[in-house]
Amino acid sequence: MSDHITDPASHAHDFEMNAEVATGPSLSYWQLVRKRFARNRTGVIGAIICCAIIFTALCAPFLAPYTPATKDRSAIYTPPQMPRFIAQDGGLTRPYVLGFAEEMHPVTYEITFQPSPEKRVDLALFVQGPEYQFLGMNFTTHFIGGAKGAPVHFLGTDGLGRDVFSRMLYGSRITLLMGMIVMGMACVIGTLVGVTSGYLGGRTDTVIQRVIEFVKSFPDLPLYLALVAVLPRRADPMLTFVMFAAIVVVLKWADLARELRGKVIAIRSVEFVRAAVAVGASDKRIIGRHIIPNMSSHIIVWATYVLPEVILLESFLSFLGVGIQQPMVSWGVMLNAVRDFQSLASAPWLLAPVGMIILSVLAFNALGDGLRDAMDPYSHD
Amino acid sequence: MTDPILSVENAKISFHTVAGQIDAVKNVSFSVARGETLAVVGESGSGKSVTARAIMGMLASNARVGEDTKILFDGDDISEWSDLQLQDIRGRRIAMIFQEPLTSLNPVYKIGDQVGEIITAHRKISKADLKREVIRLLDEVQLPDPETRFSQYPHEMSGGQRQRVMIAMALANTPDLLIADEPTTALDVTVQAEILSLLKDLQKKHGMAVILITHDLTVVSKVSDKVVVMRQGEVVERGDTQEVFDNPRHPYTQHLINSDPKGHPDPLPETAEPVLSCSDMSISFLLKSGGFFNPKLKELKAVDNISATIHKGETLGIVGESGSGKTTLGMAMIRLGHYQKGEITFQGDRVDHLSRKELQPYRTRMQVVFQDPFSSLNPRMIIRQILEEGLIVNNIGGNSAERDALLRQALDDVHMPHSALDRFAHEFSGGQRQRLAIARAIVLSPEFILLDEPTSALDLSIQAQIIDLLRDLRRKRDLSYVFISHDLKVVRALCHNVIVMQHGKVVETGPTEQVLTDPQTPYTRRLVDAAFNVLA
Repeated sequence: MSDHITDPASHAHDFEMNAEVATGPSLSYWQLVRKRFARNRTGVIGAIICCAIIFTALCAPFLAPYTPATKDRSAIYTPPQMPRFIAQDGGLTRPYVLGFAEEMHPVTYEITFQPSPEKRVDLALFVQGPEYQFLGMNFTTHFIGGAKGAPVHFLGTDGLGRDVFSRMLYGSRITLLMGMIVMGMACVIGTLVGVTSGYLGGRTDTVIQRVIEFVKSFPDLPLYLALVAVLPRRADPMLTFVMFAAIVVVLKWADLARELRGKVIAIRSVEFVRAAVAVGASDKRIIGRHIIPNMSSHIIVWATYVLPEVILLESFLSFLGVGIQQPMVSWGVMLNAVRDFQSLASAPWLLAPVGMIILSVLAFNALGDGLRDAMDPYSHD
Repeated sequence: MTDPILSVENAKISFHTVAGQIDAVKNVSFSVARGETLAVVGESGSGKSVTARAIMGMLASNARVGEDTKILFDGDDISEWSDLQLQDIRGRRIAMIFQEPLTSLNPVYKIGDQVGEIITAHRKISKADLKREVIRLLDEVQLPDPETRFSQYPHEMSGGQRQRVMIAMALANTPDLLIADEPTTALDVTVQAEILSLLKDLQKKHGMAVILITHDLTVVSKVSDKVVVMRQGEVVERGDTQEVFDNPRHPYTQHLINSDPKGHPDPLPETAEPVLSCSDMSISFLLKSGGFFNPKLKELKAVDNISATIHKGETLGIVGESGSGKTTLGMAMIRLGHYQKGEITFQGDRVDHLSRKELQPYRTRMQVVFQDPFSSLNPRMIIRQILEEGLIVNNIGGNSAERDALLRQALDDVHMPHSALDRFAHEFSGGQRQRLAIARAIVLSPEFILLDEPTSALDLSIQAQIIDLLRDLRRKRDLSYVFISHDLKVVRALCHNVIVMQHGKVVETGPTEQVLTDPQTPYTRRLVDAAFNVLA
């Protein structure tokens, strides 16, 4: 056994005074969270995809080759045109897509499209196309499109000859807007109600908790259907959108309110809150300075989980035709076009928004998981 | 010297965290033989518990064990073993007792099942034999009425009884080595002594090797044969306990040995006017019991008709075990906790009937320091915001420059550097945080401070520093204290008068010296014995 004893002299004095304060850079809670989050690969990938989706939604008019309403009467139900980089004779070339040769089936009269090598359409950046409004100004420049105005439909077209790719980018705006509005409103209402309930306690708490139970015991699907059905058929799509968002908010805030109530009750009896009472701080100050900051991580994580839920709900209800109404475009509205088996079988590319829904739900869930782990105050690593 | 059953050689353990690598244990070696008790002593953060967990192969996932590290158990290097191999010796040949008896038992299983599980995990035994064996074990750890205990749940037992169950579980397979990680820290003083003597008896009977991890030197001197002193992951001193205590070589060991709270309170002036007095205080809680159709309300008297007076410059100690109502009484006196009945007079004004708003002017004059320095500072605020809050709320110091001067003054008084202001609470050690909590109280220049066990969550040597600090502050700022504690050593060093409480009632009261040297009631005598002679 080695007799390892450190040199006494080196430690002779530093324990005498307990005031050896760390001298390195001071890491705040949020800096620690950022560092922990950066180590979580899934979370970081999720965050990058989320940012990309949000960026796409913001810049949809510029990134999309067409507007959602642009109809190409010469291209009804055309299949996707994938960009190609290898020329017919084998060499590498500038990206292009192939146009279609139409053939009619002699027996079924079904029109089929075959890529035709003669109809090569070169792709170009910053091309002129249909006019759109962005930040209140009119533009005609699109990020990508066919050279010299030739039609290009990366993900094919629907029954009216509208570009699926463009509509999908535009659809992300409404879908995400819906998600963000619901998330924001539900967070605000849930926090206010939850904190009030937990902090005041007593009879207020009992009443609020019974209201929450009432809200949560609603069978939500019939409620959505009933409430949307009440709206007039010819109602403004904007009104429907707002109503729809309001209904989802009404049903979502209750979860957060109940979770936060429990947390407030726990934090309320922690000693730093009692110390604030002891120096004479008002309720407003205690809630604003002590309780809510200590719940912020919980609220943020809840928000990142509720967003994908709303995306799924929106898609589902719009698919059923009771959510967002035409001519607004959302992912769910686009899926509404493939309700019947016939259109699904003949134009499966109309399911493209499903890919975006899956991607965004996975990405936001990964982000939420990453944030939850990074914000855990009990993790010591 | 007999062959060691366990020897740890060149143990190096580090943790990888976001803030970088932390070397928790650096080159630690020690060994323990059958029938021997080795005490590993050190303050929190010295790496003693990490070493114990490394022996059991129970380190956190971000821990790395150094390459030269050898843990030889009965000749085999178990540091190389797989989890499956370790599983076979855990609980059978090496057993461990944890600090917190309230959480180390599973609340949904009966005691008998939990003890039995340890036995059936390692050997085949019939059901009747198992029950007989478990009851024998419960009897061996001197639990009264072991047959009834067998079918009880953990919540039906006290902390000390649960720790006995934990010991029974550890002994179930007659291990060769028992690791006890702060087995008595969470227990009341009188129970501590009983558990320690039980451990000592059992060790003699079974001839086990025991590694006792503790920060309490009184425990070490009474129980252990050999001692290893650790500090910041390194061994600073080792040897026979008697030798180390008689002749400590390393200054840190000397410092530890001399860190019992010393000194006496300053003498009181003959005629001091009362600062805070309360009379006929009673507080009770209604406990619901019985079923839904047969509800019963039981009244629990937490404070039962207690009167007390604190004079200017006086420190009054309120002493008792957990559950005796001392904190409830203290918090009610400053109108911070539950208050029901009784008169409270603060400097001539009746404050018992005032609303929270009406109490506002009194808040700066009576302050409080809480027990747990880890939860008494808001983790989301920097120290400046924490200390400044009371000044802002009460409009003390008109502008930020004036407030800043007050904060710096308070930090000087608690011997903390001014650079602390811009840091977060989690960057400070427990002792430093408690200094900051004291600074938060004194920055308002109060006349009275309630100290609710301010030292019980701290390491021993830091306790002494805080006691000195409190004594200095009392002198400098002309303060009066109520000091709530279960630790009579601390009380002796700080308090002029003392109230001993049990089950909400005053058992004994009088000048500290008189109560401690000549206790009149058996309860007080037991407390005194436990504090000053660990194993009587």
